[in-house]
Amino acid sequence: MPTTTASITLSSADLTSDALSLNSSTSLLNAGLTTGLKSTSGLSRKECTSLDTFTLYHADEYTSDRANKVYLKNTSTTPTEYFLVTIDDEPMGRLYAGDWAFFPWSATNGTKAAFSVTFANTWAEDDTAVFDGVTITLGSTETTAAMTDLVVAAKYPNFTVVETSASVATFTAKDSNDLSLIEEGAASDDYVVTTTGNGTGTVARTVAPVASANDIKITPSVATSITLESMLIYEV
Amino acid sequence: MATTTATLTLSSADITGHSFNMTQSAILTKAASSTGLDEFTGITSRKYTSAQSDTVIVDKDDYVDTTVAHKVYIRNTSTGNSDYILVELEGTNIFLGRLYPGDWMFIPYAGTKNILVTTLALNVGIEYGVFSQSTAS
Repeated sequence: MPTTTASITLSSADLTSDALSLNSSTSLLNAGLTTGLKSTSGLSRKECTSLDTFTLYHADEYTSDRANKVYLKNTSTTPTEYFLVTIDDEPMGRLYAGDWAFFPWSATNGTKAAFSVTFANTWAEDDTAVFDGVTITLGSTETTAAMTDLVVAAKYPNFTVVETSASVATFTAKDSNDLSLIEEGAASDDYVVTTTGNGTGTVARTVAPVASANDIKITPSVATSITLESMLIYEV
Repeated sequence: MATTTATLTLSSADITGHSFNMTQSAILTKAASSTGLDEFTGITSRKYTSAQSDTVIVDKDDYVDTTVAHKVYIRNTSTGNSDYILVELEGTNIFLGRLYPGDWMFIPYAGTKNILVTTLALNVGIEYGVFSQSTAS
């Protein structure tokens, strides 16, 4: 198993009347304390040139309630420049020039929206279904099952899709922070079906989304070049 | 002015194909300043004889906030088990993460939310301290 060690030394000769010298060291183990953490993002740097907030680590992409560890450093040497570190959109603190942080991360996942589309009645060649920027056009096999197969075989930018039954496709959002609720019903502005006959694609919500509460977001204090160094060591 | 240094060493010979050994030192200064932090709570050491639920270990009312460079150090001093300390920011389930026995954390602190801990087991040990500035920058 990998062995990764994190040590901290806090020292000061004059912060109090007695010199401070604190040393702590820990091996980064998984939640069961049996094996070392095996996965890492690697040490990375991101140069920021705007004031825009960005998500450094998406909680959805990691397993919740593990022994994940996050390292951050502001590489700036200008004392006034900082990164605001937020979690659940609440400020943890400001990481000023030269400061670093090391902390555990729960990576609490959100709930991804899901909905189903039930294809019914008579579908004909060239009937279409449009969703998430993708247009599906029925071929010569004029059945709802064929339409379902085409819908399920397609790739969508923001959703995954599986076949729930021969005439039902179920979509799941890729990101729990996509809180848009897909309009439901036999006719939906979000999932548009166009048929020459009486074919329908009825949309029903199966899971309402809940935003991921645990994303780690970063906001630079300046729009000039400022670089954040980071690393995530995590458990799958 | 006081000079306080925080040094992190992170190393592994085998978490990737390349050995990794990194040391970072930071002098703890006030926000937007080269002047050192001037307050320190000392290191508090506790052993919780009962499970804790949202116990406040850092009270925001004790600190100036927002334009600050406070730092918080917390360590789970328990050994040999999996009794973690869940560290939270005050609010609705703002979980930072779980400190397992021996684990420590060191974070910037805005002073706008209390820092809370929750434990499940008996006799979980914890130590913590806050380095802060007496006035906001």
